[in-house]
Amino acid sequence: MVAPKVLLSKKSHDRHLLSGNEAIARGAIEAGIRVATAYPGTPSSEIADSISEIAREAGIYMEYSTNEIVAVEVAAGASLCGVRALSCMKHVGLNVASDALITLAYTGVRGGLVVVSADDPGCWSSQSEQDNRYYAPLANLPCLEPSNSQEAKDWTVYTFELSEKFELPVLFRTTTRVSHTLAPVKFGSIRKRQEQGEFIADVRRFVMVPDFARVRHSVLVKKINSIKEVSEKSPLNMIVREEGRIGFVTSGVSFNYTMEAIDALGLEASVLKLGIIHPFPENLVKEFVGRFDDIFIVEELEPYLENAVKASASSLGSCIRVHGKSSGFLPRYGELSTTIVTEALAKSLEKPVPRNFAITIPFDEIQGSLPPRPPILCAGCPHRATFYAMRKSMKGEVVNCTDIGCYALGIQAPLKIGDLLICMGASVGAACGMSKVQERPTVAIVGDSTFFHAAIPGLIDAVYNNHRVIIVVLDNYATAMTGFQPHPGTGITGMGIAGRRVVIEEVAMGCGVEHIKVVNPYDVKQTVDAFRRARDYPGPSVIVSRQKCSLLATQEKRRRGEKTIPYKIVEESCDQCLACIKVLGCPAIAILDQKVVIDANLCTGCSVCAQVCPNNAIEVS
Amino acid sequence: MKECNIVIAGVGGQGILLVAEMLGTAALMEGFNVRVSEIHGMAQRGGTVVCDVRIGEKVYAPTTPMGKADVMLGLEPIEALRHIKLTSPQTLIVMNTRIVEPVAVTMGMAKTPTLDEIVQIIHKFYNRAILIDAMELAMKAGSPLVQNVAMLGVLTSTEALPFGIDALRESIRQLVSPKHIELNIKALELGLKAGGSYSSLRYRY
Repeated sequence: MVAPKVLLSKKSHDRHLLSGNEAIARGAIEAGIRVATAYPGTPSSEIADSISEIAREAGIYMEYSTNEIVAVEVAAGASLCGVRALSCMKHVGLNVASDALITLAYTGVRGGLVVVSADDPGCWSSQSEQDNRYYAPLANLPCLEPSNSQEAKDWTVYTFELSEKFELPVLFRTTTRVSHTLAPVKFGSIRKRQEQGEFIADVRRFVMVPDFARVRHSVLVKKINSIKEVSEKSPLNMIVREEGRIGFVTSGVSFNYTMEAIDALGLEASVLKLGIIHPFPENLVKEFVGRFDDIFIVEELEPYLENAVKASASSLGSCIRVHGKSSGFLPRYGELSTTIVTEALAKSLEKPVPRNFAITIPFDEIQGSLPPRPPILCAGCPHRATFYAMRKSMKGEVVNCTDIGCYALGIQAPLKIGDLLICMGASVGAACGMSKVQERPTVAIVGDSTFFHAAIPGLIDAVYNNHRVIIVVLDNYATAMTGFQPHPGTGITGMGIAGRRVVIEEVAMGCGVEHIKVVNPYDVKQTVDAFRRARDYPGPSVIVSRQKCSLLATQEKRRRGEKTIPYKIVEESCDQCLACIKVLGCPAIAILDQKVVIDANLCTGCSVCAQVCPNNAIEVS
Repeated sequence: MKECNIVIAGVGGQGILLVAEMLGTAALMEGFNVRVSEIHGMAQRGGTVVCDVRIGEKVYAPTTPMGKADVMLGLEPIEALRHIKLTSPQTLIVMNTRIVEPVAVTMGMAKTPTLDEIVQIIHKFYNRAILIDAMELAMKAGSPLVQNVAMLGVLTSTEALPFGIDALRESIRQLVSPKHIELNIKALELGLKAGGSYSSLRYRY
């Protein structure tokens, strides 16, 4: 990441290497935003993180909201008072925010409101690869899609103008490969920010009771029809290459693969690249498509462009061959790449796949001989300690519903904790349902940030309906998986200042939970005891397992100049039973020359292995 | 200039993204068009990590097409092999010889090829390779954490990059916190020297 201050540079025309996410942050700064909100989620997190770093200096109000719908509501509140606001989330976050967003389309906004959805084709760090382009027609909102960092920056600025002109929230959709690719960005000038807003009441516009909502729906349809005229003529929807008898329609990151594939195959081809993908520029597309016999649609995931192209071209008759998802040209799942698009094109056009060498290397055989290296819980991770205690106290008799966060990595051997994972907060609700129809104890495992985001309604359900579930809240003082963002339980705000800390066990108590225990997972005996008692409790119970994320703790120690004191194996006491390795799977413990060793560079000194060792053969160095 | 595709592979926590950003920043400073792909989220959790740095006028996409890697910078041998499909026999292999054993191997649940086996594969299929113990260089520089930058230094000793060590020194100054600049530059220079101390590019090991 660039130094955050770079994003505030007043020197327009400066060029910096920015990720798509940093570029969106810079675009929002150039557009003069007053408010930025987010719930962190890969691949969107760095947009809000970069703004958080400079918020105080820039005079922007930034908050990590409790969840995505709150993030959109807070941004919308500010926008309704006339200032510009940005709200960022990952694709599945927009599901959470959609309830607010769909009705905000009816009321419209006042200051520009841009909602960024960072999608994750390929599921690099998500539970689904849903295609959020469909939210645009669903909500009747405009949607823009950049293909690189420069466009991400420039088009963010434009999106605020568009939003403000038509008084509508606008969706800005990126994907992992746009959000997380660094590319040169030429800066523009920073617009003067409107500091103060004022809400001007207008009951018929802002109070969506049925009588008024019906009217606002028709207003929305008129607005989106007007924006369609913008989309038809916008330079963001442009023909970037014009030659030959083959036409391509593409957008976003797929445009990049298209250009390289055309180059690799030496094709004469024309390319229409769409930046505004909703409302769809039907006339522009129809005019372009009509020039060709073969049209290739290059897009990731669902046939969004393809269906819109077919609808646009329907009056042209059936002589045009459209190659897309339904023709089997490209798959409907996973990411694309230059290689995938090149090979698919070569097959369709019956051309040989260009290679700069004969295949002499047995790639598959070599790759097949390698051990897997999935992401795992870090050395000293407090979740490992909690999971060990759960295994020890409850054996195989329980069902563990897990949730979204680092702790989902607990499914790896040897701990193998996690039988169900759906979405933020689903662990609690699903555990409640299971507890009603089976005898085995059910456990819901939920992280601290996830607890505030989505688990509280489930918790209340457990109390209200007396479900026999054990809710384990893993409190590591951070939204760790997405980059250690603060949350209500940390008491630090997005502005980097102290707010009021919301204490998890107090929330549980307030919700009426009667069996609550707070443990330090590094104290193995105490934690095992707590789980045993919860297992035998006849109603809902909450265990808060509290210990700072080991990455964060190590970072903070390093910053303070403190040394981490690692543990070591006492050779004469170690009988090589390998209990430490086989029950914990800590990456700091390895076997070297047939002896168990602890890597002093990785060990965080958590002491859990020393408590687990049956021979007392592990001690502090 | 000819397109230059550098693939950097290793284990989460080795500083792969930082090396990629150093290369990207240097390329931008030297006036080249550049793309640096980085997938994070899982990067710090000890999993496999791969990053691409692509330099050239006609580069659009973030990732290197199969067989098009000009350089494979392997910060860890198993991970260098994992992304082998991006290489061709003409790819220059610059590889750290320090294996980081996956936990599945430590627990006896999976087998790993030995360093000797990995070296044999590289010698059999690639025309040019530099295999070097980056830990030794990093310790000489003063910290095991700078193996990544030492490997970058080794890469600088070849003709693969369209810019020299000065641009990388400058990008270190831009990207690394002030108190670690000297350490990183020292690692870079030790890498350059170690890479350059071999008389020919073919199989320095």
